[in-house]
Amino acid sequence: MDDPSQNQTHNHINGNGDWPHTMNQIFNEDESHFKSNAILPWDQFSNWIHCACVVTFDLELGQAMELIYPGHIKLTDKEKMNICYLSFPDSNSGCMGDTQFHFRIRQCPGKRPLSRSHSQYNKDCPVSLQLDDAHYYGFVYFRQTKDRTVRRGYFQKSVVLITKLPCVALFNQVISIIAPEYFDNGEPSLEAACHDIDQWPSPVPGDTLNLPIMGTVLQVRVPCRSDKLIGSVQSKSETLHSLPVHTVLPSLHEVDIYSAFLSILPHVQLLWELVLIGEPIVVMASSPTTTCLTVQALVNMIAPLKFCSDFRPYFTIHDSEFKEYTTKTQAPPPVILGVTNPFFAKTLQHWPHIIRIGDMGSIGGSPKLSNKVKKAAALKTLDSNPGVYTRYKSFLTKDKMILKRLMKGAQLKRPVEAQNAILRRHLLELTQSFMIPLERYMASLMPLQRNISPYKGPPKLRPFDSEKFLESVEHSGPQLTSGIKGDWESLYRRFFRSPNFEGWYHQRQREVNQKLQILHLEALSNANLSEWIADKEEVEIVDLILKIKDKLSFAMHHHHIVGKESVSRLQKQLEDIVLTLPHDLQSVIKT
Amino acid sequence: MSMRDVKVCLLGESGVGKSSIVMRFVADKFKQALESTIGASFMTKTILVDENTYKFQIWDTAGQEKYRALAPMYYRGSSAAIIVYDVTREASFLAVKGWVNELQRHGPSRIVLAIAGNKCDLEDLREVREKDAQEYAKEIGAIFCETSAMTSVNVAELFQAIARLLPPEDATDSLDQQRGGSNIKLRNNRSNRGRCCGGGPAAGDDGGGLQASRRSQRGTSYPS
Repeated sequence: MDDPSQNQTHNHINGNGDWPHTMNQIFNEDESHFKSNAILPWDQFSNWIHCACVVTFDLELGQAMELIYPGHIKLTDKEKMNICYLSFPDSNSGCMGDTQFHFRIRQCPGKRPLSRSHSQYNKDCPVSLQLDDAHYYGFVYFRQTKDRTVRRGYFQKSVVLITKLPCVALFNQVISIIAPEYFDNGEPSLEAACHDIDQWPSPVPGDTLNLPIMGTVLQVRVPCRSDKLIGSVQSKSETLHSLPVHTVLPSLHEVDIYSAFLSILPHVQLLWELVLIGEPIVVMASSPTTTCLTVQALVNMIAPLKFCSDFRPYFTIHDSEFKEYTTKTQAPPPVILGVTNPFFAKTLQHWPHIIRIGDMGSIGGSPKLSNKVKKAAALKTLDSNPGVYTRYKSFLTKDKMILKRLMKGAQLKRPVEAQNAILRRHLLELTQSFMIPLERYMASLMPLQRNISPYKGPPKLRPFDSEKFLESVEHSGPQLTSGIKGDWESLYRRFFRSPNFEGWYHQRQREVNQKLQILHLEALSNANLSEWIADKEEVEIVDLILKIKDKLSFAMHHHHIVGKESVSRLQKQLEDIVLTLPHDLQSVIKT
Repeated sequence: MSMRDVKVCLLGESGVGKSSIVMRFVADKFKQALESTIGASFMTKTILVDENTYKFQIWDTAGQEKYRALAPMYYRGSSAAIIVYDVTREASFLAVKGWVNELQRHGPSRIVLAIAGNKCDLEDLREVREKDAQEYAKEIGAIFCETSAMTSVNVAELFQAIARLLPPEDATDSLDQQRGGSNIKLRNNRSNRGRCCGGGPAAGDDGGGLQASRRSQRGTSYPS
């Protein structure tokens, strides 16, 4: 046993994705079977992060971009300006020490479309986690300390990660590791961190990833669209042996919604309705950390449904959309804003729904609850009491059971994680009770299998008829799965006018039409086409050939969902048909 | 059978061959003139030593001076540190002492130290005598061997020796049951230690044998 040469070694290069990308580059010439396709430096990096920025406070210039890493990354002036302003707390309450928050900005148009890795991610991840081409997130770590060596005596600087991925929990963790190192050791540490991220495996939905960062390894699972939402217990066994040097993140993107709503718990269901139907909401608090948590929690409330309007976890008066969003000449846009500047108390006074969150200091203690919904007019300044200010009347009656359960949990000092899980599950069940009848109705709009003919175009989904749907709600509506009573019908009617419905409907429509395309392709590949063309005119045959070519190109673009056998059958059919044509026509067709 | 995660970092001057040692260990490859490391590279490799499985999480740090201040991130929480020098460059051996001092002062208290004199295939260019390095290692209670990432001499053996010298996992660890088993095995290993690590050249080696002396300073602090 002592002879080292007898020791077996297991090499994990090919097996489990341990293989880092730098090494992969080195061996790329002769080892083509390695998992990662990245060839260029920074390819893997940009799967996760667009760039890292350092924003400083310059006495002459105000907020200024000190550094963008990696250096070749380009941001437009407008993007830079937004990043600079949003990377600093906006309120007078001097945030001494370290403050963490995030923001969301519009990406300037005219950029290249999503990368291949990102498109692949979007195909398989839960819809609510999809990244969109139009926005960036910025994850900020701001430090303010007394520093006598600086004029005015304060050191103020932020490290910011710019990314398209809505992985809030992950990036909050990552920036909290990177930024303090940067403040201690400067640029080399940012370089090292970015280099670490450049070794990360791609964010493949369903995979549990080990992400090395600055001497530690974060382990996190990327959720997958096919995950079971209720009653899914993630196997913990694979994480068991990795204690000492690993940090296991319970989620890539979820925030602690219980803590976020702690001071307004009695209104959670009302807020769920407001978010669902896409009402304009503003969250006011004294710190960007609080507004971020609350806005993100609101957006998360309707999962697995995707929140399709704009939302800004932290919004300032310098934002380039400030005018657009605060104008009084039009109705407020259906967006959710988080603000800290007292100025907004006046600017957004006309907004229909205002959430005011007090200091978050009392988490863990028994929450002081404001039970009454307040009229928006009662809100004059940011110093008003915490609460929800709205004239909105809920369509559904309040579920008192969940409140009681949470209150009892708070009294018993149940851990926040458990409270969070209870609330999250409650909201998930509520959303699903709301969506199941819609999903069922949508399925009934599918054409019948027997209507799919190889000789005609693929059938289309029948149009959505809201009245027909509402008729079905009477006998098979949410009351089947939810104990909550109320005017579900009116809630649906409001929902149909919201961007969330539109987003959901288009997503389903796309999926169904894709499915129909595949069924049609299969029908075509199985049909006896040579018999069919026997008595057809040349022009009809050419028409068929073009149709098949169309199908094959569709199959190329959707190779991961189209059966290989059907494709090769269809390919063969095409070749056979082409051969029946006159020679001159054959050569034309082939080009 | 339990799997033990072992965080190990490689430290040492620029150009001594840290990345090459890791590449040899992880992939059994060698490449002349690797590009210099930025910050650190991370790799894992699982090996079986005396019927125990060890998953090495290897942080291969950059040797360049500008990254020097980042080193604590990598040795923080490490079970072992491999300090590498180049036998053909005296200065790189002198730098080893700086690393040892830093680790003794600021590193984890039970970290296993290993010193590797790399490029031992370049006998004609040698500037550091094996004996000198060995004596120094003995003095501070570190594993010592001369390695060649190019010819792969002693590379796997170095990591095996580290695995054998790891102290039992912390008793406050939450994995009580699994660890119960590995504790017993590790105790057995300790009684073998003289033979695994201290005895003569490892099988098949021509060059420097793999040596480890009992940790003079901290070895006695292992719980029995």
